Amino acid sequence: MTELDLAAPMTHGHAAMLEQSPFGIESKKLVMWLFIIADAVTFAALLLGYGFLRVGSPNWTRPFGFSPTIINGMVMTLVLLTSSLTTLYAVSAAQAGRRSVAVRWLGATTLLGATFAVLHLREWFGMVREGWSPSTNPLGGSVLVGATFFSVTGLHLLHVIAGVVAIPIIAFGFRRGRFQAGHVETTGLYWHFVDLVWMFVFPLVYLLNAR
Amino acid sequence: MTDTSATTHGETIDLGARANIAVWLGMIVIVAMEVVLTYAHLSVTMLLASLILLACIEAGLGLMYFMHLKYERAIFRWWTVPTLVFVLLMMNEVWPDAFRALRMRQ
Repeated sequence: MTELDLAAPMTHGHAAMLEQSPFGIESKKLVMWLFIIADAVTFAALLLGYGFLRVGSPNWTRPFGFSPTIINGMVMTLVLLTSSLTTLYAVSAAQAGRRSVAVRWLGATTLLGATFAVLHLREWFGMVREGWSPSTNPLGGSVLVGATFFSVTGLHLLHVIAGVVAIPIIAFGFRRGRFQAGHVETTGLYWHFVDLVWMFVFPLVYLLNAR
Repeated sequence: MTDTSATTHGETIDLGARANIAVWLGMIVIVAMEVVLTYAHLSVTMLLASLILLACIEAGLGLMYFMHLKYERAIFRWWTVPTLVFVLLMMNEVWPDAFRALRMRQ
């Protein structure tokens, strides 16, 4: 039973203690939305910082060729978008009380998230082998290209890894009855947000730096 | 496993698997459009404006349909979206200084 279910029928007695949310959503979901808003501003600040440094650097280089980087980025985008779809199915199944189905969809989401992380790390290691780092540019231009690339994609990758760790924990807890559908929905919100951030990282960091 | 629902203030809204897949396909099409535009030899300003516009449309679809913001109470949408948009717009004060930095280095 959620806190909304508890609050709805209360008209006497403890009504003041279990007052309904003015937004009509559970506290944990509201807190997740607050986190998402704060994190969106963090990513926006990082992307603006990248834009500022790019505009202010006359010797900016465009390191990414269509193959393999942009193709890899497209595959990563497809994987992340698909993981959002599997998250939707997990939330739907959880709300319908179909625990094993929800756990399976959460497993698929985790697998897709892990695939994204592996593809991303493979790309990073490839760039490091070419001589890229946060302080070096093998093409001879501004070193800020590497610094901004690794900062923006690194923070996003950290969010993906956090999701890949958190989702199985929620799935196991949900299967055992320790967590409710609301927990799955809240985790799903986080994962959709990670997907949304990538919708800006891919065009602004990859496509705008394509050769 | 075919229907997706969003619970908002006690009601369950069936969105349907087809609607979800349509949004997912729409987002994939937007990504494809972004890649095509990247290699369409547009000016940097035009390309940047196009990519940001498409990314905003994609984010809007994700927010409304995947994150179910469309099905939350109007007061919640009015509390979150304009606040965030205002903050994001105010952050754009930095651009004149970025162009000043560019002129100084040229």
